[in-house]
Amino acid sequence: MERFAGLLQQLPRQQGEMLRALHLAQEELGWISRDAIRLIARHLRVSEAQVYGPATFYAEFRHSPPPKTLVTWCSGPSCRVVGGDRVRRIFEAEFGCRLGENTPDDELGLWLGQCNGTCEQAPMVWVNGRVVGPLTMVESVKLARRLKAGDDVIEWPQRPIKIAPATFVDAEATYGSAHGPGHAHGQEGAEESGR
Amino acid sequence: MSSVYEELREAAELAAAPRRSPSRPLIRVDLSTSSIAAEADRLWEALQPLAAEHEADLMRVGTLGLSWLEPVVEVERPDGAGGGAVVYGPVRPEDAAEFLAAALGDHPAEDAARWLIGARTPTPGIPSLTDHPFWGPQERRLMRVMGLIDPESIDEAIAEGAYAALDRAVAMEPMAICDLVLSAGVGGRGGGGFPAGQKWKFLLGAPGPTKYLVCNADEGDPGAFVNRVLMESDPHLVIEGMAIAGKATGADYGFIYIRDEYPLSIERMQLALDQARERGLLGADIFGSGFDFDLEITRGAGSYVCGEETGLIASVEGIRGMPKIRPPFPAQQGVFSEPSNVNNTETYANVPLIVQHGDAWYRQFGTESDPGTKMFSISGALERPGILEVPFGMGMDELLLGCGGGPPDGHTPKGIQPGGPLGGLLPASDLGLKLERPPFTERGVLLGSGGLILFDERASAVDLTKYFSEFCEDESCGRCTTCHGGSQRLVEVLERIMHGDGRLEDLDRIGAIDKTLQNANCLHGQFTPYAVRGLVNYFREELDTHIDEKRDPARVAPGLTRYLITDPSDPRLEGAAALCPTACIARAPVEADDDTEEGEDGGEQAAALGDWQIDQPRCIHCDVCREVAPEAIRVEDRFLTTLSVV
Repeated sequence: MERFAGLLQQLPRQQGEMLRALHLAQEELGWISRDAIRLIARHLRVSEAQVYGPATFYAEFRHSPPPKTLVTWCSGPSCRVVGGDRVRRIFEAEFGCRLGENTPDDELGLWLGQCNGTCEQAPMVWVNGRVVGPLTMVESVKLARRLKAGDDVIEWPQRPIKIAPATFVDAEATYGSAHGPGHAHGQEGAEESGR
Repeated sequence: MSSVYEELREAAELAAAPRRSPSRPLIRVDLSTSSIAAEADRLWEALQPLAAEHEADLMRVGTLGLSWLEPVVEVERPDGAGGGAVVYGPVRPEDAAEFLAAALGDHPAEDAARWLIGARTPTPGIPSLTDHPFWGPQERRLMRVMGLIDPESIDEAIAEGAYAALDRAVAMEPMAICDLVLSAGVGGRGGGGFPAGQKWKFLLGAPGPTKYLVCNADEGDPGAFVNRVLMESDPHLVIEGMAIAGKATGADYGFIYIRDEYPLSIERMQLALDQARERGLLGADIFGSGFDFDLEITRGAGSYVCGEETGLIASVEGIRGMPKIRPPFPAQQGVFSEPSNVNNTETYANVPLIVQHGDAWYRQFGTESDPGTKMFSISGALERPGILEVPFGMGMDELLLGCGGGPPDGHTPKGIQPGGPLGGLLPASDLGLKLERPPFTERGVLLGSGGLILFDERASAVDLTKYFSEFCEDESCGRCTTCHGGSQRLVEVLERIMHGDGRLEDLDRIGAIDKTLQNANCLHGQFTPYAVRGLVNYFREELDTHIDEKRDPARVAPGLTRYLITDPSDPRLEGAAALCPTACIARAPVEADDDTEEGEDGGEQAAALGDWQIDQPRCIHCDVCREVAPEAIRVEDRFLTTLSVV
């Protein structure tokens, strides 16, 4: 907290530094504590409520200490269309906590993450910031149990990613000429436009 | 060309020469968020000592866009077998030694065949990357140097021509730049499509000495990652575009608002800003022209609605990112109440190309309504998810089925989700639509910022709609009741439908909520009903099945399905029971227990005694048991009366 207070002093006393100050608090303390809010308010010369507002508006700011092992579940649609919601239910059941919560001993936590576009790994989770995917449901259970057992370094063997069969030159035959006419076809067109 | 720029360029070309025309093998490793997710950082570490052994150089590059093949490695050989630049992937860290020996050996085409993707420059015996279905139809303009240069080295960017357009622009009249951008016809790439040149003219005409530029890199749409790739692979293109916009609008300061979910983008943009400042490309008196411009990064904190320009401005100011009613428009009152201009990252990135090559060149590709090229990020049920750049007007089927390869494992496309949670849903029969704004708008959806998600018959359109509506509810800023209350009611209705309590009047209710939401204060609320409107318009049959028959054809809604054991003697059930997260699979007690759910199923009950059975109330429908014992477990419709009907 002292270190944070010291670093905070280096920020200009401007309203525009609010997010930077809150990020600083989260980096230094792991979460936004009531004390941190008071310090930021004093430094930026605004009311505590004016700090509390943004601190609770933005989803990235946490108001409880982080768990030792954090599983961030990707909520994105690309994950969802391949079973992402099941992954959530599995982790919730295995950890015994709901999404957004920690286990009572703060050893494990399951938080919601937003899609950052590593959708080729779907369905996936981040374990302490590291992408783990693509997960089958069986793997999800096994991963959750290993984390519960205290494995904090996870060397998760990635499945060799399947390489699409039509890799070369027959692309035109398979999918139709890239620049030719007649692309206004529907899904069946893929087969029809072969030549 | 100003003498300052000329000097800068010569120095940069000298510094970058060993990598631009290598005298010994050069290994380019894709280090971007997508590749690091596939352990490219570990590969990078593994390659360090190996490269030295092979007397080859190793360099960090951005992405080529072949996300499904990450980690991607390019090996460029000045001479010898395969004397060209060949792209390989996925190279697992543990295979690094074997891979390098093969790729640098005498017969890379055979020895490294399992990693081979294609040759970027002509290489004897190796098929060209341009024959690859993912690569061939692309027109890489914004992505021209992506995957080739080190995004953390300004020298390489300058040697490839970065900041040449800025050099030209500082000598131009602001109005001339605005006119040029306007006649090129570059529209807002965030999805709005409003002509950037026009927007700039508003700011140019605004009074006052202080004006701000804002770059919207709060790419909140799940499934869209165009801006991320731009910032991670070629950050100087964005900086140059903003500096030119500064010259054109009279703004001398800008904010790049990057979402917190993109730490690598923040890191690389910050580094690029520092390097640009060091070379005098930002700061006072750029190129000795008297033009001052500087930039700073604002790190977001996880709020989707900050992607709306007035919400973004509020967030830059350090308050809650709640959108405001326009007017006043940002050009009148923006950041800290000063005139401002907000554009998407990709919009700014297009500007240097227009200034450098002219509006006619820019219009070579694309359509009348949307000239130029567009980067798309494609994902979902695809063989080849990734990021690519194609001309506007290309068929969506060509992009998703051709480049993306369609759904894997013989699944059939069911629909497309363009433009993020606010973009709506399209059925697979619309795959033939041209990728430009008008046909999408006509179909009641948005092309948006470039994310396209294909889903196949395994996904439920109702479930997706519920997800998007929940997302909108969650991300509503709360200022107007229309939006936060409307999205809450919408989610309630959809949840009820997915639990088998759908009512006939729900369709009317959805229609009423849709109508109400159109009166929301900002675009977030106004676009919230797009998803459900797509559901009603294009997936009506599926919705009706949910409501009328209490059945989910895709069998994903936990409220409408149940897992049943069809073969209690399957030995794999033992393993399934061990993995069940809620331990709801257990052997039935030998005495009949009429209280269990199974007991109500009549016929099968007697046979199931003493055998495995599922305790229905505890089942979370996670599908683990079916993965373990696919023949012994079946997902049934919950409200089917007889088990024999499938």
